[in-house]
Amino acid sequence: MIVESLELRRHVTIGQYVPTGSPLHRMDPRFKLVAFVALVVAVTFTGSYLGNVALLALMGGLILLSRVPARYVLGGLRPALPVLLLLAALQVLLYTPEFTGGEGCVTLFRAWFVHSTTCSVKLAIVSAARFVELLVLTSLLTLTTTTTGLAHGVEHLFAPLQRRFGFPAHELALTLTITLRFVPTFAEELERLIKAQVSRGADMGGASWWRALRRARALLPIMVPLLLGALRRAEMLVLAMEARGYVGGRGRTRLVELRSTPHDAVALLLALLAAAAILTVPWPW
Amino acid sequence: MDTRELVIEVRDLVYTHLRDTPFAVQALKGVDMEVWRGEAVAVLGPTGSGKSTLVQHLNGLLRPQHGRVRVLDYDLSDPNVDVRALRRRVGLVFQFPEAQLFERYVGDDVAFGPRQLGLSREEVRARVREAMEAVGLDFEGFKDRLTFTLSGGEQRRVALAGVLALRPEILILDEPLAGLDPAGRRRLIALLRRLKGERGLTLVLVSHDVDDVVLLADRCFVVADGRTVMAGTPRELFSHPPATLAEFGLRPPSIMTTMHALADRGIPVRRHCLTVDEAADELARALEGG
Repeated sequence: MIVESLELRRHVTIGQYVPTGSPLHRMDPRFKLVAFVALVVAVTFTGSYLGNVALLALMGGLILLSRVPARYVLGGLRPALPVLLLLAALQVLLYTPEFTGGEGCVTLFRAWFVHSTTCSVKLAIVSAARFVELLVLTSLLTLTTTTTGLAHGVEHLFAPLQRRFGFPAHELALTLTITLRFVPTFAEELERLIKAQVSRGADMGGASWWRALRRARALLPIMVPLLLGALRRAEMLVLAMEARGYVGGRGRTRLVELRSTPHDAVALLLALLAAAAILTVPWPW
Repeated sequence: MDTRELVIEVRDLVYTHLRDTPFAVQALKGVDMEVWRGEAVAVLGPTGSGKSTLVQHLNGLLRPQHGRVRVLDYDLSDPNVDVRALRRRVGLVFQFPEAQLFERYVGDDVAFGPRQLGLSREEVRARVREAMEAVGLDFEGFKDRLTFTLSGGEQRRVALAGVLALRPEILILDEPLAGLDPAGRRRLIALLRRLKGERGLTLVLVSHDVDDVVLLADRCFVVADGRTVMAGTPRELFSHPPATLAEFGLRPPSIMTTMHALADRGIPVRRHCLTVDEAADELARALEGG
């Protein structure tokens, strides 16, 4: 086992908050959320090389703006790397031109069921780039916004739906807060459980990958207590909320009122423009 | 001059959690500690002083970033050291170990470790029996009980048995008495004493409660803010004035505080009594004398 591999939290960047006081941190969460959605849409619908280069550059700019160490933001990629590589390999080797679509696919290699074309290579590279972009976006959102900020933002944005259709905006926001809040907690607990089981003789990651059943069984000593712990924690949370008289959305006041400034509007406008530009430019390549 | 065997040696150990991230915390800033075979050593210190980080180095869960850790004949700075072999000889019981139980039946849970070693059925059974009896759980009576229906104290003993079933030479326990009721505490203290006395197990206990420590430990190390700040027998340690102890987040044992109070009121008793029994004898002597 690799020496530092037991420190799981190192790679959990989603759900963490790193206060640096940057302009991204100061942005009103409602505006930030809309900007986030716009950029996610841009990432999702950009399938060209150059478009993705532009998006990657934009992500780099956002990381700089957030003043969170780039190394930390990108650290979240490491656990996903094996899956990403496997996915890319499958796409390159197996996606036929009919599947990838696009004009002028040039066959690079063909044997038996393996069929690589320029299109499948492009798809693999673009997918990987998109994954990185989405990870950076989501990580930055939580790294620069407190969970309460996020929840209030979501609640505000869904409030019109609540008024008109009775959509449970407050409950959604609460669920979101709780989910995000517990990601690092579970990572911590997972780390503790792995250490505890390893200490009494468990062999983590020892079985070869083709013995999938054995590997799955090896996870039981960790998954069972983790799940039990989660249920226990949920029960305690419910009790704590009940004990403090929590009654949901109606009539609740807030400690922090959201106030937007012209800066927020400008930032949102920039994000929308960037997203629109990336989506509409006819990238030649 | 010393014929005893040095089994744990920690020198100037430094460790930073989540190094190179915005959440980096330097937990250890220079810890020294040594443990001889067969003794019970306590690591004392307030919450967040680095005790748990320290003991996780002793079975190779964490590796020294700076400084030296030698346990038995393993040098943990060596990246190729066989930590699996080390972990068989050094058992580590985490805080609230009952949270790591996962099998339906008590016997299966205790058997987890021995089964991982690839022992025969008979050998696994023998080890489970031995470990369960060692923690005071009747093998026939408890092996087929449902793990999650046991009481908290029983679950903790099952978890302890799960580690003992590996037959370690050194047993490390992180806050073993936390959250137990008085009866459970007394039972576990007696159990740990027996393990040390009868099996010659070397014990390392992490605790922030001095009352537990004086009942169990031959020697103590006080860790505060990531450094070893005091070392010695409980008697040496607690003969320091309470103000000095308070500096490192410690207080004298409760009974000693009582004796201090009595002595301050002019009752002729020795102040430095560590246990209730000792204090009772001292009081009896003072009363007869007076």
